[in-house]
Amino acid sequence: MSHTAKRWSRYIIAIVIIFSLNFIIPRAMPGDPLTNLLGEDVILTDSTVAELRSEMGLDRSWSQQYLDYWWGILHLDLGYSFHRHSPVSEIIFSRMKWTLLLALPSLLLGGVLGTFLGALAGWRSRRKGQKMQTALFLAIYCTPPYFLCLLALYLLSFKLDLFPLKGFYTTGSAADIAHHLFLPILVMTLFSLSRNYMIMRGSVLQEKSSLYAAFARAKGLYDDEILFRHVFKNALLPIITLLAMDFGFILSGALFVEIVFSMNGMGNLIYDALLSRDYPVLQGSFLIITIMVVSANLLADLLYSSLDPRVRWQ
Amino acid sequence: MPDVTKFSRGGLILFLSFLLMAVFSPALAPYDPWVRFEPYLPPGHEHLLGTNDMGHDILSELIFGSRVSLIVGFGAALMATLIGTAVGLLAGYFKGTTDEILMGITDIFLMIPQIPLIIVLAAFLRPSFWMVALIMGSLWWTSTARVVRSKALQVREMGFVQASRALGFSDRHIIFTDMLPNIFHVIMPKFMLSIASAMIAEASISFLGLGDPTMKSWGMMINFAFTRGGFINGYWWWYLTPGLCITLFVLSVVLLGFALEEQEEATMRLE
Amino acid sequence: MSSPLANAAPLLQIEGLSVSFETPLGRVKAAQDVCFDLREGETLALVGETGCGKSVVASAIMKLLPHNASVQGRAVFAGRDLLALGEKEMARIRGSEIAIVFQNPSLALNPIMRVGEQIAEMLQVHKGVSRSRSLQMAEDMLSRLGLVKKETASMYPFQFSGGMNQRVMIATSMILSPRIIIADEPSKGLDGVLAGEVMVEMARIKDQVGASLLLITHDLLLARDISDRMAVMYCGEIVEIGKSREVFSEPLHPYTNALLSCLPERGFQPIPGSSPSMIEPPAGCKFHPRCPQKQDKCMRRPEMVQVESSGEFSGANESTGREVRCWLY
Repeated sequence: MSHTAKRWSRYIIAIVIIFSLNFIIPRAMPGDPLTNLLGEDVILTDSTVAELRSEMGLDRSWSQQYLDYWWGILHLDLGYSFHRHSPVSEIIFSRMKWTLLLALPSLLLGGVLGTFLGALAGWRSRRKGQKMQTALFLAIYCTPPYFLCLLALYLLSFKLDLFPLKGFYTTGSAADIAHHLFLPILVMTLFSLSRNYMIMRGSVLQEKSSLYAAFARAKGLYDDEILFRHVFKNALLPIITLLAMDFGFILSGALFVEIVFSMNGMGNLIYDALLSRDYPVLQGSFLIITIMVVSANLLADLLYSSLDPRVRWQ
Repeated sequence: MPDVTKFSRGGLILFLSFLLMAVFSPALAPYDPWVRFEPYLPPGHEHLLGTNDMGHDILSELIFGSRVSLIVGFGAALMATLIGTAVGLLAGYFKGTTDEILMGITDIFLMIPQIPLIIVLAAFLRPSFWMVALIMGSLWWTSTARVVRSKALQVREMGFVQASRALGFSDRHIIFTDMLPNIFHVIMPKFMLSIASAMIAEASISFLGLGDPTMKSWGMMINFAFTRGGFINGYWWWYLTPGLCITLFVLSVVLLGFALEEQEEATMRLE
Repeated sequence: MSSPLANAAPLLQIEGLSVSFETPLGRVKAAQDVCFDLREGETLALVGETGCGKSVVASAIMKLLPHNASVQGRAVFAGRDLLALGEKEMARIRGSEIAIVFQNPSLALNPIMRVGEQIAEMLQVHKGVSRSRSLQMAEDMLSRLGLVKKETASMYPFQFSGGMNQRVMIATSMILSPRIIIADEPSKGLDGVLAGEVMVEMARIKDQVGASLLLITHDLLLARDISDRMAVMYCGEIVEIGKSREVFSEPLHPYTNALLSCLPERGFQPIPGSSPSMIEPPAGCKFHPRCPQKQDKCMRRPEMVQVESSGEFSGANESTGREVRCWLY
């Protein structure tokens, strides 16, 4: 099988498996699959329940249900939330843009700054000032993201009253949104930065001892010149996939940030769904997040192939 | 490199302190964390860190909380490392189709959004912390598998392994006697880092209220602080202390992991 | 043919160069009290077994040793002691005045950077030449080394053979017309014919730019063929130095004699004993445990002494520059 075919098949298989997992879980979990599919504390009459049971196809064979499930997904039908009285897909899509507004800038900033600072950290690993910086980012790396938020909230909003305490906006103007978003994006960026920093630093530390870096020095390149002309790209390539895989982790972090900052994105959606055991919303969110993560991995894979000449020329 | 030793020594001391805290919680904690006193007390003589909304002594909660973090972290990491090592070894040793299949599975597992999946499962199952550790372990083995595999591929080509195979030793024998000891020092740092990830994940899950309600974990403390008015009222002793503990415990584990990695690299340089 | 510049002032003077490394296994004394001159336009070969310290000497001159190395002595180039210079100043000299060609060209080149750019980089960094112009000059350099096709410059090292990469490295080191070129085992990893070709090209360019060549090699025949003078190293010390053909026809030091006897054309006789440890080397003369002519005196370290040659290869007024470190003289 050609390289590209293998790669694509891997992604498709991943999606199929994860989506199937999503199908299996509510039906395999203890309890009535109907409850698992509807959510708990949903008040319905017996006749409605029977109706729903047949509508949802729970009286059909498993294989038939499986096919119906996929049919629904391809039509973007993610089910219906009885708690919120609205189709799940609508709910998710309306919330998703806010989450992306929070996550994407943080990811970009964190990615760029993280790799840049991390590269310098790996390169200058022996200098005194560097160790302090590395220790700082290490500490941030070890802090659960939501705790970081709590700290930031406490210090900057509560005590110093510099930023609003919650929500995406109060007045809705661009400046207002920016003001609200500042702290969450700051925390998210730090979170993403610290992870990229550590990974890039490790990669540069490894590349530092390579022969081509020594030869670059022998050619008369001085210090940072060697880093940015040679080592940086070589260190970045093997970790692009790592960074992409981290995307899933960072996205989860975004959810927590939203919860702490009481923002109406997917994070709080999931949190509320969790509290009210609104399973359809939970599952729908899981699917959407999966798609986002798999896409990010795919993008990174493609990026890697286009950047590394050794792969291009295969 | 003296500074690395300084950091890793600090990490070791921190780790051991938390370990001791976990093991000797009943002796160290001033009270039983489940005993009720007057709720919402600020820090004072009787209760160094005050009490929570149910009147439980926060300091005792804090000390007992180390147990949950340790057990979940350790359990999840142990499982992840066992599975990861097995997969990596088999893939690296047998190569060919076995390798392709195992790596394919690994890649797929890598793409599963871990925390969202744990949330979904936890929502349905309402698990004990053992379950949480189990679920985490069954998701996290991938990075260990990759590292073990690349090392196994290396070791496999080494002289003494080739010799064993030429002499006709069974695969099983070779794997356990020749390959495993040489892979060990690659596994250890990964193990430590898995503990760190697991602890943060456990804290995050508990924060969402999905943790085991019968055990006091640091994440749950923060959850209660957040949802029961601790944050709004500025009771920093309630939520800052467990958060700090999580950070420090994770930090100590990460430092140890780094120190082990440094050691491994130093031995490699000598080879 | 004697070198017309034999009496010119030396371009590079190495005085009392000693290098040691701190390792977990002990202190490795890689080089001890190494002294030699490199004159303008000449080719000096530094020969010896693997591990005798010759590459260390080259790296020491360029200040490319790892941080656990301690270096003593002087390396005087154009009136300045290189060993006393700071990194920034040294960086300016590296590549532009003194260039080094590593072993293992396929690893020494950046695998994901185009070959032409790696050569052009020298011009950009040292002379501030524009990118397009420097790439053009790089292409010219490559064709002078036999890689004539236009597309070569935009290809990557992983697409080339070892020999081609070696030529790329030579192009890189020669493009700024340095005054000294240090070639560290240039023929290693290349088969006989190819090695010969590469060396011929290198010698040709070296003469074109008027550079001096310090050739580090364990290949005695190569040393004899292209070098003017030869220095033999053993266990971190120079034991004999002199005109290559003289050293070959009349080896003075017992080690040199034994080394030459290892050659297939001279009988393929191995040297008894094994190479000494650099952490705990033998006392006195390093070779004496294996020397067929050893005396009690050899427990004390001999100094380098000048020796008059038989006059076959020099005019009556020329100093032969023949030196040996042995009590026999």
